[in-house]
Amino acid sequence: MDNKTVETISYLARLKLDKDKKEKITKDLENIIDFVAELQDLNTEDIVPLSNPLEKVAPKREDIVTSKSRKEAFLSSSPESDQDYFMVPKVVE
Amino acid sequence: MSIRFKTLAELKRLLEKKEISSYELVNETFKNISSSKTNSFITLDEEAALNKAKDFDEGKVDGDLAGIPIAQKDLFCTKNLRTTCGSKILENFIPPYDATVVDNLSSAGSICVGKTNMDEFAMGSSNETSYYGTVRNPWDLERVPGGSSGGSAAAVSEGLVCAATGTDTGGSIRQPAALCGITGIKPTYGRASRWGMIAFASSLDQAGAFARNAEDCALLLNHICSHDLKDSTSISDVQENYLDNINNDLKGKKIGIIKEFDISSLNKEVQDSFEKSKKIFEALGANFVEVSMPNIKLSVPTYYVVAPAECSSNLSRFDGVKYGYRAKDVDNLEELYVKSRSEGFGDEVKRRILIGTYVLSAGFYDAYYKKAQQSRRMIKNDFVDAFSEVDVIMSPSSPSSAFKIGSKTEDPIEMYLEDLFTISSNLAGVPAMSIPHGFSGGLPIGLQLIGNYLEESKILNFAHQYQKNSDWHFKTPDLGESS
Repeated sequence: MDNKTVETISYLARLKLDKDKKEKITKDLENIIDFVAELQDLNTEDIVPLSNPLEKVAPKREDIVTSKSRKEAFLSSSPESDQDYFMVPKVVE
Repeated sequence: MSIRFKTLAELKRLLEKKEISSYELVNETFKNISSSKTNSFITLDEEAALNKAKDFDEGKVDGDLAGIPIAQKDLFCTKNLRTTCGSKILENFIPPYDATVVDNLSSAGSICVGKTNMDEFAMGSSNETSYYGTVRNPWDLERVPGGSSGGSAAAVSEGLVCAATGTDTGGSIRQPAALCGITGIKPTYGRASRWGMIAFASSLDQAGAFARNAEDCALLLNHICSHDLKDSTSISDVQENYLDNINNDLKGKKIGIIKEFDISSLNKEVQDSFEKSKKIFEALGANFVEVSMPNIKLSVPTYYVVAPAECSSNLSRFDGVKYGYRAKDVDNLEELYVKSRSEGFGDEVKRRILIGTYVLSAGFYDAYYKKAQQSRRMIKNDFVDAFSEVDVIMSPSSPSSAFKIGSKTEDPIEMYLEDLFTISSNLAGVPAMSIPHGFSGGLPIGLQLIGNYLEESKILNFAHQYQKNSDWHFKTPDLGESS
C-alpha cells in the first residue's frame, strides 16, 4: 500500500484525502490489508464463494406498476432541483 | 410515578390499568431525555409523539405496543423526520417514507420519540465515529456504550425508553447491549425487512431490538420481523409468535461451547461470569457440548473484506446530487462528487470505502474478495455442522467490558477485534442475542446465545429461562444527579 495505490483507489472512490491525514490513512490501510492477508494462505479449493447467507434466488412478481409517481417528494430532497430535474453543474460546454 | 427502568410489559400493564396515561408517559420520557448526559439522541420528535399519545389516551389507537414510547436508531428512514445515519452527509436528509420496521412498529401502536445516535453509517464499535458526538455509557460517562447502535443501547440502559431498535452488521446490537447491561437480539438475516434501512453491507445488515429483558425483545420482534416484498432477501417462511415458546423447559437441551474461542485468554471476571452462567443453565437441565468450528478464527479478516467491499458499493450513492450534503464552490460535476463525499464522510467511513475499493479492484478481486467469500462459506458450514449437534451456541458477547472513550480510536484493528465473538453470526446469517450476565471492573458484560437459522424462539427461550433464574437484567446504572 504505497502513495500511488492510495491515490488510485481514492480516485476510484471519488474521495480526496486531507494532506495532514493522508499518511495516517495510508498506514491504517496497510495494516488492515496485512490483517486480512491471512485469508490468502487459506486452502479454498472447491469452495464455492458465498455472497449471501440465504442463497435464495430473487423472487419474481407480476410486471405491474405498484408504486405511484412521487417525483415532487423525491426532488424536494435534492440540494438543488427544479420542477423536473436534479440540478448539477454544467457538463456540456 | 417514576417510569424509568420499567420494562415494556410493565408499562403496557400500567397503561391497560389506566394507572398512567400515554401522554404522561411520553411527557416524562422527554423530561428524562432533556436531563440525560449520554448524548443518546440525534433528533427528537416531541410534538408528534405527544399528539400520538393523546390519540391513544382518547382511545383512537390500539395494538400490541399501543401508547408505548420507543426510540428508533437513526439508520431507519422515518417519514418527515430527519434521518442522519450519524453522518454529516445526511445532516439535512428528511426521508419521504418510513422503513418497513418503523412502519410495523408504528402500526402496532408504539410511539417514536426520536432517533438515536450511532456510529457513522453503523461503522464502529464505540459510537465514537458519529458526526453528532460520542455517546456516553450510562454506567460510566467516561466510557463508550459500544457500537454501532450505541445511542439505542444507552437510551434503554439509562431508562429513557423501555425499548429501541438497532441494526447489527457485525455485532452492532449485541456488543452495545453487552456494554450497557441490557438485552439485545439480531434475528436471522432476512427475517426483518431491510427496506428503508440505510445500507452498509447488504448481505450482513439486519434489524433487531434492545430491551430490558428477553421477554420484551420477543414482543418487539413479533412486530419488527415481517415478510416484505420490498426487500428481495426477505424471508417468506411463516413467522412464529416469539412469546409462544419462551417458557419451554430446557431439560436435555444441548448448548455448544466453541472450542476455538479461547475464553482463558480473557480477564478473570469475564471467565468467572461465563462459568457461573454455565452453572445456571446446567441447573435448568441443559447439557454442555464442545463444538469445533475450525474456521471461526477467520471471521474478523473475512468480515473486513466483505463488509468494506459492500460498503464501498452502497455508499457510492452519496454524490451530492439527489439528496444529502452538497459541497459549495465547485467548478464541475466531477468536483461536485469528490468534494461532497470528501467533506461529508468521516475518517472511518473513508477508510472502509477505500479498503472496499481496493479489494474489489482489478487484480485484487480474486486474492481478497473471492477468497473472503469462500472463507465465508467455510464459516457458514461450521455453523451448519455445529447446529446438527446442539440447540444453541454460547460465548461471551465481547472480549471485555466498556473501554474508555478515546482509548481505541488510534488503531482501527484493535477496535475491529471488539467484534471477535459477534461477527461470525452475521457472516453465516444466523440469529444471536446478548443478555447481561455479570460485571467486570464494575461494568456490565454480556453473554451471547447464537441460534440456528430461524430459531429466534429457541434463543429467546434460553435467555428468558436464564433471566428467570438470575438478576443481572434488573441491575441499573447509578445516574447520580442526572436522574
